Amino acid sequence: MKEKRINRQLLTMSKEYPQANFTWILTLLISLVFLLNSFSFRAGEIKPYVLALFGAYFITALLQLFIAWRIKRDILLYGDIQRGTRRLGYIQLFSLVTGNVFTAAFSLHLINERKTPEYTFAVYMALTQLFVIAISAFNVFKPYVTDSFPMAMLVLLLVLVFQVAVLIIVATTMREGQLPKWLGLIAIFTALTALTGNLFALLLGISLWMKVRSTESSRIAKWDATWGKITRNTMAVFGMFFIILMLAISVVSRYTFDYDLAVENDYANILQAPSLVYPFGTDNFGRDVFSRIIFGARISLLVGFASTVIPAVIGGCLGGIAGYYSNRTDNWIMRLLDVLYAIPGILLAIAIIAAFGANTVNLIIALSLGSIPTYARTMRANVLMVSNYDFVDSARALGASDFSIIFKQIIPNSLAPMIVKATLTIGGAVIATSSLSYLGLGVEPHIPEWGNILRVGSTYLESNSYLAIFPGLAIILLVLSFNFLGDGLRDALDPRLD
Amino acid sequence: MIVGLSSKLQKTYRDSQSKSMYRFLIYLAGLPLHLFLYVIYVLKKKDNTYEVTLAKVKRELMDEGRKEAYQAEYVDQLRRKAAFFNEQSIPERIHRQAEELSAERYERESVRITSERLAQQGLQRESYTGYVYSLLGKPTFLMISLLPGLLMYALLFLLSNPFLKYGAERLVQSVFVILGVGILVFSILYISPFDPASNILGESATKEQIAAFNRIHGLDLPYWQQLWNALKGIATFDLGTSFTGSEDVASSIANKFPVTITIAIFSVLMAIVIAIPVGILSAMRPNTLLDMTFMLIALIGLSIPNFWQGLIFILGFSIKLNWLPATYSPGNALSLIMPVVVLGTGLTASIARMMRSSLLEIIHEDYMVTAKAKGLTKGQMLWKHAVGNALIPVITVIGLLFGGMLGGAAVTEKVFNIKGIGSYIVDKQFIPDIPAIMGGVVYIAITISLVNLFIDIMYAFLDPRIRSKMKQS
Repeated sequence: MKEKRINRQLLTMSKEYPQANFTWILTLLISLVFLLNSFSFRAGEIKPYVLALFGAYFITALLQLFIAWRIKRDILLYGDIQRGTRRLGYIQLFSLVTGNVFTAAFSLHLINERKTPEYTFAVYMALTQLFVIAISAFNVFKPYVTDSFPMAMLVLLLVLVFQVAVLIIVATTMREGQLPKWLGLIAIFTALTALTGNLFALLLGISLWMKVRSTESSRIAKWDATWGKITRNTMAVFGMFFIILMLAISVVSRYTFDYDLAVENDYANILQAPSLVYPFGTDNFGRDVFSRIIFGARISLLVGFASTVIPAVIGGCLGGIAGYYSNRTDNWIMRLLDVLYAIPGILLAIAIIAAFGANTVNLIIALSLGSIPTYARTMRANVLMVSNYDFVDSARALGASDFSIIFKQIIPNSLAPMIVKATLTIGGAVIATSSLSYLGLGVEPHIPEWGNILRVGSTYLESNSYLAIFPGLAIILLVLSFNFLGDGLRDALDPRLD
Repeated sequence: MIVGLSSKLQKTYRDSQSKSMYRFLIYLAGLPLHLFLYVIYVLKKKDNTYEVTLAKVKRELMDEGRKEAYQAEYVDQLRRKAAFFNEQSIPERIHRQAEELSAERYERESVRITSERLAQQGLQRESYTGYVYSLLGKPTFLMISLLPGLLMYALLFLLSNPFLKYGAERLVQSVFVILGVGILVFSILYISPFDPASNILGESATKEQIAAFNRIHGLDLPYWQQLWNALKGIATFDLGTSFTGSEDVASSIANKFPVTITIAIFSVLMAIVIAIPVGILSAMRPNTLLDMTFMLIALIGLSIPNFWQGLIFILGFSIKLNWLPATYSPGNALSLIMPVVVLGTGLTASIARMMRSSLLEIIHEDYMVTAKAKGLTKGQMLWKHAVGNALIPVITVIGLLFGGMLGGAAVTEKVFNIKGIGSYIVDKQFIPDIPAIMGGVVYIAITISLVNLFIDIMYAFLDPRIRSKMKQS
């Protein structure tokens, strides 16, 4: 009994074993989804492509199960994972061909024994780049591509080659204390590749630069500890991966996707079923749903970020003032915000849009206004807590002004809960955006936005259900990613969990 | 008994003098009585010992040279402060500051010494407050002034009981919030650049027609007049007729409210029944496969947009399986199932997550260790000490999320074609039909405020921590 408990503790302590288990379960589940979809019950025929995908995923899942078993045996017998088991990661890396990001990320982690945050950044940087290229490459099946497509693809491929090289350098040279100076140059170039929207590159660049140049070891240690905690949480990293992938796609789609395919009517191809030319089919005006979803990511991210940043800044300021100053100011601000808090966000948004019309700017204002009180409350609670700390008193005793105390002492020390809150509410903003668009109150109908696509899809639910399913999946994945990332950030930044 | 009451009133009166709001309300409530008493007070007041003593003390202190001594002390302090912070010290500024400070201290000292001397002689400064305080102590005065001062006595009685005081404060706060909601929503609709008259009457409407329309609906009145009418309409359930179809807005809202509320209540019930056991199970076995599965499902439930879930349910259960009707029809209980589940999913997920984290936090509290040391079984510990305490924040969250759910009802109602209040507001917003939108939004906000008011007051009775905090304050 006792031995069993110790064994279980040993297994959960190793980073690889739980991740290996999680990966094979998830892969198996995905393969089952493919299996269910490979047989059309109505027509009674088998779809060969989907069945092949099922086979590929199923084999990957079996291999993953084998790796998980080997890891378990290694840990219990030898105490750590053996080289032979780590080598299996190279074989599992081939699952990348089927687009299985979970096994690919796992195998890259398995191959490298020492896991620095830089290695994780580098792995996901390369994966993001690869997925951006793969998704953009679907355009070659279209009858025509945009003029900038070949050039953009070439640039993306070159960036990918560079990033893979960086990945190998990071994997081999990241030993503590003896970083060569030329790595600083690479850090700058890596950070520059973040212009494609690949924020992992930016993170890697900053991280490398800091380690090469900075002498403040406490800052490096803090950075490593925070990111170490975040990257240990597999789901948070996958969430971050999907968000950054969507961001990169929205940046790159300007050059690799044809906007006309998403907005111009094409009556020759109305309501086509999914195929290689139209991966998600076409809608009732013959517009390519795949392109529409890709371009929709832009709007969702824009509205989501804007309607989170604006109320976070306004609410943060109001909450900060209310928490720092006297009872009377506090009372006035919080009572006025109570009024805003009493109206449900969606209803307030509907009222504002009724008054000023439905467009993206009004949508952002409407959603922002409704969430000011929650941020103000969070900030106020933090400020009340922080302003009782000794360092604030000492700043005051040294004659610092209120202004400098608020901006230099209090705000930096009460930001963490705000960041967590913001990450968790971006998902809500994305849902609210698409909900309002679905009601016809959000983004203008001609603009490709996920809620707008669903609105069309809902009328063809019986005959062309894929029109409603794919944009919905996109929304769920994005929102889920934000929630996973938010949970991970909360666990990493919460001082109580230290 | 009446003596006990009078001393209670006396004490409340004295305590409430420190808060300007209560003082104002007390004088307002007993206005006729206070006017009468004040006249008597002024007429009776002959005694000016206080003023005489104060003047004497001031003179003494001045002769002693106290003021100059203070001045010198402050100048010295300010100089040293400037030197410590390496600041440029300007003699005249320091002098001015020291003068202000010393004058202040001189006044304070003389008042202190005066009241000390009077206290030695067993006297105190005569004031109107003290006069009323002494009167309240006499039961005969209470009997005589019962009728003119009834309002004030009622107020004092309310303030004397912490529960009643808390409830009353909370109620007044809700009334102000509702008033604020009314003003906010009306103002948003008022500054709208849209013109309902030309939207409804069409492009071809003449000026006279538009003017007539505006007159009928009171749209030509100034802002304050319209605002007053709107608020009065909300309070008296008379919102006039809607711009289109000339139906009575209040009665159509009353017709649509029950469906929305029914679905919302069933959703909350479903959420509680499913989420609380799930939360407890998860917290009992943290980080196991069961816990992780539940929490993953909860997170997915949080991430699904209502309308998409509704569409998928219709696709699956109505179109493919043909089990449940796709649209709601009154009287058909089966058609309620899908809307209730869809509306309640997000709430269920939130409550389950909240319950889990709340219970996990409680399990690590010191009193749980004590309970374990006492030799309680796991079940006793869980049910007697943990779950009850863990439910406290969860119920607050349910109250807050109830509001969000009523807001989200608009989307769900549209998907399942339910003629509820949410879809009513959405239908009316294209015009924009000001009385209808205003009424719908404000009545929903009132419902939410009442639910939260009820939950807060319930807490005052149930949560011992809040109870003791109220008694202390």
